[in-house]
Amino acid sequence: MIQLVLYLVLGAAFLASLYAFARRSASAEGGAQIILRARQALSALQADLLPPQVFERIFANGDYRYIISAGDPALTAMFLSERRKIALSWVEQIRRQIVSLREFHLGSARLHSQLSPRVEARLAFEFFTLLCVCRFLQLALYLRGPYAAPRMVGRVVAVASRVCATSEEAMGFLSAVKVDRLAGKSAHKMTAL
Amino acid sequence: MNNVLKRTDVLQAADDLRRHTLPSIALPLDLLIYLASTRDYNTGFYYHDGLASRFAQEVVCEALADCHREAFQELVGASLENLVAQMEAYIASTQTSPHDFVVAWKKLEPYRVAVPVDSDTLTSDFLFSNFRIALAILQARLNTPRTAAPASSPHRLLAQ
Repeated sequence: MIQLVLYLVLGAAFLASLYAFARRSASAEGGAQIILRARQALSALQADLLPPQVFERIFANGDYRYIISAGDPALTAMFLSERRKIALSWVEQIRRQIVSLREFHLGSARLHSQLSPRVEARLAFEFFTLLCVCRFLQLALYLRGPYAAPRMVGRVVAVASRVCATSEEAMGFLSAVKVDRLAGKSAHKMTAL
Repeated sequence: MNNVLKRTDVLQAADDLRRHTLPSIALPLDLLIYLASTRDYNTGFYYHDGLASRFAQEVVCEALADCHREAFQELVGASLENLVAQMEAYIASTQTSPHDFVVAWKKLEPYRVAVPVDSDTLTSDFLFSNFRIALAILQARLNTPRTAAPASSPHRLLAQ
């Protein structure tokens, strides 16, 4: 009887250790994915979404004045609808990339980078502000069209640029080689699936 | 080292292209369409016989892709007024009826296959949206007398 209890205890301990090991590797893989996503989010923000030539072109007043000068209400309505779609897509993409960066800061960044508590607190506040402003901007664009809130657009760009700068600093521990290796690993995993 | 040499070759090939072939194509829209037409739709690789006689195929492909990206960015940066003017000039150069052209472009949306393969979705969508608006403007102009259209002369705009 004592032997049976002993074997049961050993079996349970073995199962528990297997479970803990599986959880640990799963979370390490998840961490790598978060870092990779954050790196991609940062380059998407810096290269495709935040450069002045991108948002200035989307919200250009000159195009609107040109359409108005045609004096055709149907054309104006079509133009505003098209621009609203693009503007909403721009804000949504910024919001999604910012969420990826926030995931990185909430998880992996703390383990690898040396951000001071003051910087972390400021960053948390900026994430919060930015996500709120993105939602307000989406609402304004949806309800009142693409030219409804030019100052809010400016604010989104300014705060997002600051968040990008801090994130880039926090990702300093990641060399290009490491990122390539992570990307290779995840691509390999996708192929295997 | 190999990469650096290759990049130099690409820059040389692109420069050659800009000096000899592309000057005859003045507008970004014409350039975009011409450069997209040098791309094989099955593989995404660009081909140019003249350049291939002086540079490796890989180099030619990259040089054409560089010029294609440049034309795309230039067209994205063009104002709506300028895009409409470019489309009018393009229609005139193809010698098709403007009405047939607008109908075909609205239905087939050929501009969708003319963008570089690595262009980001938002920028491509923005250009597609501008094409749709420009086509609507052209259609409105065809349906109404010229005086009612926005005051833009293609020649004046294209000279800017």
